[in-house]
Amino acid sequence: MELFDNLLLGLSTAMQLNNLLYCLIGVVIGTAIGVLPGIGPIPTIALLLPFTFGLAPASSLIMLAGIFYGAQYGGSTTAILVNVPGETSSVVTCIDGHEMAKQGRAGPALAIAAISSFFAGTVATIVIAVLSLPLAALALKFTAVEYFSLLVLGLFAAVILAHGSVSKSLAMVFLGLLLGVVGIDVNSGAARMTFGIPALADGMDFVPVAMGMFGLAEIIANLERPAVRQVVSQKLRDLIPSRADLRAAFPAMVRGTLIGSALGVLPGGGAALPPFTSYAVEKKLARDPSRFGKGAIEGVAGPEAANNAGAQTSFIPLLTLGIPSNALMALMIGALMMQGIQPGPQVMTEQPELVWGVIASMWTGNLMLLIINLPLVGLWVSMLKVPYRLLFPAIVLFCCIGTYGISNSAFNVWLMLGCAMLGYFFIKVGVEPAPLLLGLVLGPQLEENFRRAMQLSDGDPSVFLTHPISAVLLAIVALMLLAMLSPALLRKRKEALAE
Amino acid sequence: MTHRQFDWPDLLFGGFLIVVAAGTFAATWKLAGGTAANMGPGYMPRAIALVLLGFGLFFTGRGIISSHAGIERVHVRPLLAISVAVGLFALLVESLGLAVASLATIVVAAFASHESRFFEIIVFGLCMTAAAILLFVKVLALPVPVWPW
Repeated sequence: MELFDNLLLGLSTAMQLNNLLYCLIGVVIGTAIGVLPGIGPIPTIALLLPFTFGLAPASSLIMLAGIFYGAQYGGSTTAILVNVPGETSSVVTCIDGHEMAKQGRAGPALAIAAISSFFAGTVATIVIAVLSLPLAALALKFTAVEYFSLLVLGLFAAVILAHGSVSKSLAMVFLGLLLGVVGIDVNSGAARMTFGIPALADGMDFVPVAMGMFGLAEIIANLERPAVRQVVSQKLRDLIPSRADLRAAFPAMVRGTLIGSALGVLPGGGAALPPFTSYAVEKKLARDPSRFGKGAIEGVAGPEAANNAGAQTSFIPLLTLGIPSNALMALMIGALMMQGIQPGPQVMTEQPELVWGVIASMWTGNLMLLIINLPLVGLWVSMLKVPYRLLFPAIVLFCCIGTYGISNSAFNVWLMLGCAMLGYFFIKVGVEPAPLLLGLVLGPQLEENFRRAMQLSDGDPSVFLTHPISAVLLAIVALMLLAMLSPALLRKRKEALAE
Repeated sequence: MTHRQFDWPDLLFGGFLIVVAAGTFAATWKLAGGTAANMGPGYMPRAIALVLLGFGLFFTGRGIISSHAGIERVHVRPLLAISVAVGLFALLVESLGLAVASLATIVVAAFASHESRFFEIIVFGLCMTAAAILLFVKVLALPVPVWPW
């Protein structure tokens, strides 16, 4: 069985002592930033990117992935105890989780959340392992033509399935693509829009862009809102859920896992869509839907399983095709490129230890999370007592040092400042910055593949329609765009995202 | 907001896109465009700028037509304090070293919040500076001067 060999290979990589250590560091950092509202995984990963430079590729990816799914765990802890979603993915958990906490059942709620997440993480790991092989085999047949269409599909799908106005998000993708062409043109050697700044010759670094837009701009906007924080203070003695709790939660957990695994693979699905969908499904299936919102345990188990499964399966497009499904995965691509690995289907065959090591590490990481989250929940809750007035100057400082550290250039710090202003402007006019980051990371690849495809076809754009795989991919894009224009679907999407 | 009839977020975002598109045309007009089969360096930037221009005109138009939508008030204090803090870091880190730059950044950034207390932030700033030096210079071996001398 090839699958078993691969998983074994992965496990042997993930179980190496140093990789276990990096995985632990990743999940601990992830849990911490998940608990702390006001800092998300995107600026954190951007911050740590420069320092993964010296690590082995597998170790660095294992650690960064740990931060990502660790944040999902931490986010649900604050959602349950404080009614503040540490991450967008745990917004739904607030509804019933916090209600359970108010009724004095915070312990079982936390335990069910952690168990569901662990269960989903385990299943999702297997799903990734099973799906990766055929997808990577298919992707090896790709030429520049198919790649271009795939990138287009990835970008469009990410925009359509994510939050916010579709037209504005599309505009942001193009804005990101434009930032992506800054630098020396590889084919002609001409400097494009570098404005004579040597630091821009290699292209715009996306770390300052990500930190400015997601880190600093968020802080500025956060400081404008009055902070409300109430920790449910009660002894967390009874962590163990009753048998009735488990029986009620289990089916929801399974359904949530399936929903999360399926939606996570879709570009843009990422971590936000699955929990909402799962919550809606549980509410619909429940014999007594009125219990929801009043502490229904299914309302915790389903979405928690879904968000964790989704977080993990969103790695599939990245690992097999080399395209990121959301802004976070775009940073992961950046991490690969910093290591000198060109993301794409060839990674799977050329670096099997890396790919399978990362996949297997998700399982070991989830196990660690179960251990560091349940018995140590008190520790994480006490972290919430750090006031924001101390937290935010520290984040600002770390963003500055991290950005400076990428290439020891003060220019990057200025660039980050500029992006922070821009990000603040985007928040004020109500535009999501995530699509811009996707465009920026994918821009150079998109241009290169487009250029190559056009060279092969002698400038005839119909080549994208005569290649069958490419035609199917573009047809999906067209279908999605058409569907978005239909008013019925538009309303449904609004409801689903607003709920 | 004196003009009550506009959708300000749309209008401002549209205007921004138009400015960016115009700026791109201005910055790349010297670069060769080439043909689709053999693209020059100016082909992609101008193609993208054209799309952005289209989006910009669309949002501006929509902003003028559609009903009023305001923008949340801009608070100057956090915006200014964070910007100055980051700018100070960029200016000081190479000339005066990481220690001075870190402390300055923390203290100035703290001005962004009304809740900050003077002595607390000085002590906290010193601790964070020490932590930053320990973490980034000692552990992660970031090559940066620590002290002004």
